[in-house]
Amino acid sequence: MVALILLAMSNEPNGEVAIEREVELMASPEQIWERITDSSMVSEWMGGDVEIEPRPGGRITFSPEAGPDVWGTVEEVVQHERIQWSWRTDEGQPEPIEFELSPAEDGTIVIVRETLLPWRISGPDGFTEWPEASARSYNALNAA
Amino acid sequence: MEIPHRVFSALGDPTRLEVLTTLASRGPATATEIAARMPITRQAVAKHLAALDAAGLVSRSPAGREVRYQFDAGPLEDLAQWAADTANTWDRRLQRLRNSVE
Repeated sequence: MVALILLAMSNEPNGEVAIEREVELMASPEQIWERITDSSMVSEWMGGDVEIEPRPGGRITFSPEAGPDVWGTVEEVVQHERIQWSWRTDEGQPEPIEFELSPAEDGTIVIVRETLLPWRISGPDGFTEWPEASARSYNALNAA
Repeated sequence: MEIPHRVFSALGDPTRLEVLTTLASRGPATATEIAARMPITRQAVAKHLAALDAAGLVSRSPAGREVRYQFDAGPLEDLAQWAADTANTWDRRLQRLRNSVE
């Protein structure tokens, strides 16, 4: 796993690490779009209550069944194709989430991408701060 | 949104990354030993090692007049754990999304 991380970082000039998942669902982009952008429908599959305003600048909040609440802002919306938002915990830093839909032969390809920015390496108490080693990394490598 | 790009972009330096992966795959080594395996000078290796050391990605131990460096995965293990947890979480969510539409 560490080797994969090294590989991922070597390919990302901004030092980001992204988790990407791709699935093909047997439903139209319009049907899936509704389930991603309608608050009550998203809440059915996200694993907690979601409130989303699917327009640029709209607010999004998520109260997961486990873990702290996150909140943020919708940044990009292309109807039936793409939505991106960034959210954060009260203590944390913004984290981008992207959904992309594209029509396939019998349904829709759904790609979801969650990006970890370098400032958000997890610590023992959660994902809210850098552990000391990463803070040292930041200072040392930035100065190098 | 501002994206800070200093920390791990430094690991994106191909030579520095190669120094690190050499240590990770071949075990502890001095700057001289690493330089013998790579087409760069000992001084250049030493500079990269100093940065990796300050980042906590290598640890040091005395080796005669030199210093032997050992790869330390600690700072990367949190990242690996995050990656695994996040992937699992999205897999579960997407499965529920699939169940709701198919």
